Amino acid sequence: MIPSLKLTALSLLLAASGLAMAADSIKIGVDGPFTGGSSSMGVSMRDGVRLAVDEINKSGGVLGRKLEIVERDDEAKNERGVQIAQELINKEKVTALVGYINTGVALASERFFQEAKIPVMNNVATGSIVTHQFDDQPDNYIFRNAAHDSIQAPMIVEEAITRRGFKKVAILADSTNYGQLGRADLEKALELKGVKPVAVEKFNIKDVDMTAQLLKAKEAGAEAILTYGIGPELAQIANGMTKLGWKVPMIGSWTLSMANFIDNAGPGGEGARMPQTFIQEATTPKRKAFIENYLKTFKPKNNRIDSPVSAAQGYDSVYLLAAAIKQAKSTDGPKIKEALEDLKTPIEGVVTIYNKPFSKTDHEAITANIPVFGEVKGERVVFAYPDDAKKASEVRLKDANAKGALAVPAKKK
Amino acid sequence: MQIFTQLIYSGIALGMIYAVIAFGYQLTFATSDTLNFGQGDALMLGALVGLTLVGLGVNYWLMIPMVCVFGAVQGMVVERIGVRPAIKIKSEFGWIMSTIALGIIFKNVAENVWGHDDLKFPSPLPESPIKFLGANVLPMEILVVVGAIALMAAVEVFNRRSIYGKAVVATFNDRDAAKLMGINTGLVITFSYALSSMSAAFAGVLIAPLTLTGATMGAVLGLKAFAVAIIGGLTSGMGIIVGGIILGIAETTTGFYLSTGYKDVPGLVLLLVVLALKPAGLFGKTVIKKV
Repeated sequence: MIPSLKLTALSLLLAASGLAMAADSIKIGVDGPFTGGSSSMGVSMRDGVRLAVDEINKSGGVLGRKLEIVERDDEAKNERGVQIAQELINKEKVTALVGYINTGVALASERFFQEAKIPVMNNVATGSIVTHQFDDQPDNYIFRNAAHDSIQAPMIVEEAITRRGFKKVAILADSTNYGQLGRADLEKALELKGVKPVAVEKFNIKDVDMTAQLLKAKEAGAEAILTYGIGPELAQIANGMTKLGWKVPMIGSWTLSMANFIDNAGPGGEGARMPQTFIQEATTPKRKAFIENYLKTFKPKNNRIDSPVSAAQGYDSVYLLAAAIKQAKSTDGPKIKEALEDLKTPIEGVVTIYNKPFSKTDHEAITANIPVFGEVKGERVVFAYPDDAKKASEVRLKDANAKGALAVPAKKK
Repeated sequence: MQIFTQLIYSGIALGMIYAVIAFGYQLTFATSDTLNFGQGDALMLGALVGLTLVGLGVNYWLMIPMVCVFGAVQGMVVERIGVRPAIKIKSEFGWIMSTIALGIIFKNVAENVWGHDDLKFPSPLPESPIKFLGANVLPMEILVVVGAIALMAAVEVFNRRSIYGKAVVATFNDRDAAKLMGINTGLVITFSYALSSMSAAFAGVLIAPLTLTGATMGAVLGLKAFAVAIIGGLTSGMGIIVGGIILGIAETTTGFYLSTGYKDVPGLVLLLVVLALKPAGLFGKTVIKKV
């Protein structure tokens, strides 16, 4: 009960202070799932956002005005996301939005921000089409600073097929938008390598038994399992493998780094590998300060951030927006959008140093050369390759020509 | 063949999880013609209370009776608040909404107390599988099957052999006549709710090491168990076990032989067929209701 009471008190305080400075604060909406299976990402993202807003306000705010965050829990439900989008736009009149963890929610809700000409900085949702929904319109208000699936899927395939030499792989993906779009990307990336998955299986959120899916993969002779799902069900896959006495490597999307996967899978989850934009290690002064601040403020269990990637990207998303508002000298949506597309000064974030992260046609801050492979080891995510760990202090910068991303098909009219 | 055996094992384990929850539906239906739609949430509360007790250092086996007591009290609360008022005014449907509402309240309370994340329930038995007739079984799965059958057997014996059990059966057969014979039917109904939630709480700690433990664990399980109760028949103990195993095996075999995308379909089709052809369930007795 205690933490939630604290939370209530905090939000009351926030609400009260919001009233007091409503006239001159800049409102930023924060939307993510703070409850349910994807909450470890949502909560870490929100905490990253809070940290950044706090820092910015302490150093005088933006344009001499304080940032104020309006947090909403979308419960990972598309329809909640839509309601929240309308509330934030029409009632709260936010200047911009950061957030979205679940691809499905992002796809359902972004339309309203696009229509209202309010920029959205997607900081976690990875579905490839998230930033391409409005390619057919003259202006696109959707930006992203997360590694999208067209980067992640080829990375997963590269790791499994090229680096580790597996010839037969099975795909296990959940039945949500996230899982199924990811599965399509994985199949595409495998095809480019001339490999056909030996089994492609589906599971539902809250499924407790994965025997059928795993047996199919096992019978087909899979040497590795490629996953696209979220923590609890991924843990059931690992547990199912333990039960069948069949252990092959799990390689999958970045969600294999979620705390609820690592904790629930226990020893079965060790060795799972996934692309990560950020690993909780103090490899640069900026990252060191971020990790220390986060641990001090939110005190997560065992000093492990539940989802380090979400926290880092949440933190960075606020700095990107703040820089754009500063440059635009305005809280006007179209002006902020223009500023984002042409940011003059580099922004030092936790994930990378953002030097001209966006352009008119490119709304993705993360390119294929930025993420590294993480591995679950001793119930934490560490660098999978010692080489990456050694070079971690060299910040990987955006490279628009980086190879390895799938081409995202233009949206059909 | 080995594959098939493995699918059957997993199906049985899954089916017994459904059956033991469905059993709770049956207990209250037997006395009061009402169901506790918060059965899944009673299960979730049992599992979470059990997890807390284990976290405090209580031994798994010692914790079970404590959780059972908690479940019984929780069931009495549900009956007092949600069901009794509806029975009193002879409302046909009032209890449906009130048990669902209480279920949602319990879920929200659990979210505030235990958080939103799925937690790991430490397994009291070794987590490495045992080879049995060419396929793997987890010791915990055997415990679920044994525990479920033991629980149901205990309650059945109680109902058939003890004088209190006779009161339960009498209340089911004719509530008004039982009342005239001096049976405190109100108390019997409260008791049946206590027993029902107790079995749900017991089921919760039994299955928690296999599933994950969290505020939302009851929702899907409670619904599937309801399907089992309908397929097997709300009046037959045997039917619940058979219904559970049918649904469990249908899920695992469809998943393997047809497609994992359709694994929930055959069970639900069976539900529709049973409702159309034999509404009282495969093993249920058709009761003629005189109006």
